Amino acid sequence: MTTNPDGQAGAYTKTLLAGLWRENPVFRLLLGMCPTLAVTAAVKPALTMGFCVIFVLICSNIMVSLMRNFLKPHLRILMFTLTISTFVTIADLLLKAFLPAMSEKLGPYVPLIIVNCIIICRAEACASKSPMLMSVIDAIGMGVGFTVTLCVLAGVREVIGTGKFFEIQVMPSGFVPWAALTMPVGAFITLGFLLGLVNLISRKHS
Amino acid sequence: MRSIKHFFEQSWLLIVASFFFGLLIAVTNAALSARITWNATAKLNTLAGGLLPEAEAFAPAKETLDIAALGGKPQTLALYKATKGDETVGWIFTAVGSGFADKIELVVAVDARFEKLAGFDVLASNETPGFGDQIKYDYFRNQFKGAPAGTLTLVSGGNSETIDAEIVTISGATVSSTAVVEAMSHYLVQVKEQMRQKGLIEP
Repeated sequence: MTTNPDGQAGAYTKTLLAGLWRENPVFRLLLGMCPTLAVTAAVKPALTMGFCVIFVLICSNIMVSLMRNFLKPHLRILMFTLTISTFVTIADLLLKAFLPAMSEKLGPYVPLIIVNCIIICRAEACASKSPMLMSVIDAIGMGVGFTVTLCVLAGVREVIGTGKFFEIQVMPSGFVPWAALTMPVGAFITLGFLLGLVNLISRKHS
Repeated sequence: MRSIKHFFEQSWLLIVASFFFGLLIAVTNAALSARITWNATAKLNTLAGGLLPEAEAFAPAKETLDIAALGGKPQTLALYKATKGDETVGWIFTAVGSGFADKIELVVAVDARFEKLAGFDVLASNETPGFGDQIKYDYFRNQFKGAPAGTLTLVSGGNSETIDAEIVTISGATVSSTAVVEAMSHYLVQVKEQMRQKGLIEP
């Protein structure tokens, strides 16, 4: 890929990396806040949610990219929603079949992926205007960026809130967990601090 | 004719996509439904085992019960018999209440003579974490263990450790507490009556 004379490889790399930092859906675009705040009390549910979003993003971007030349402008949002809801339903069924305990833990937040702004945003901004390979790379970049962000947030909350990481005790026995961090208030506070940190780093870089 | 042509020109993709996606969901559902049902049954058995620890086996009773759900809709309810050897040690059935966020599905266990509750557990719910989901906590559920298997009443004050037909509500989760108590009372009365009629318990 690196020898591609059209510079396609560079465009693919740029698109892939955009989701991780420059256009990170949570830290830079502030999209998908509902699952970001709701399922990040521990790393396991955050990771599961991340994988679900990656699956839905890839599948919906492929479908939207395939139908992009036939989309009528006034019907496109309807088509996006139809596509996304199909793959969210499939993801929900897969979770119920293979990870029933996690499906129960995530509760309504898996069906709520249907209204996750990240997915509809990528369908509109990228998949409806790009060929399939570029749409898939964009979906992977954005999905991984979202998942990493969720895991960072969940990691901080789980370690400080319970003394555990991935349900394994990591803090010394004398550590008193800050239980508030596992509650909704903890999600807002942690997200606020991490957003501040990201802004600080990006200002230094610029 | 022209309007029909215009309609199909505009919406053919939507129609085709709807059929395709519908088929995709149907195929996935058909492939996974057996496993999902198996998971649900396994969970029911696990919860039932926790409610009636003396039981060695749970088997669906031959008789099904025709009752009215909370909204009045007719429902055929599966009944499970808990046994230890040849002896019946209790009965299990599911009840559905209308919670704060969604339906609350409960597993209800009663003793062999349908006189006292052995307890309940939550099979499925989407109640608010920290508030409504306290219906899963022991301090609330313990009030039902040994309570009379009939109409229950929700009270806002009182001693939650006293075992009787009065259930003390969860502070901050009145809707969820009410949903559980209403569903239990509604189902207990009907199931008991049906079981008497079918000769499963003594009149």
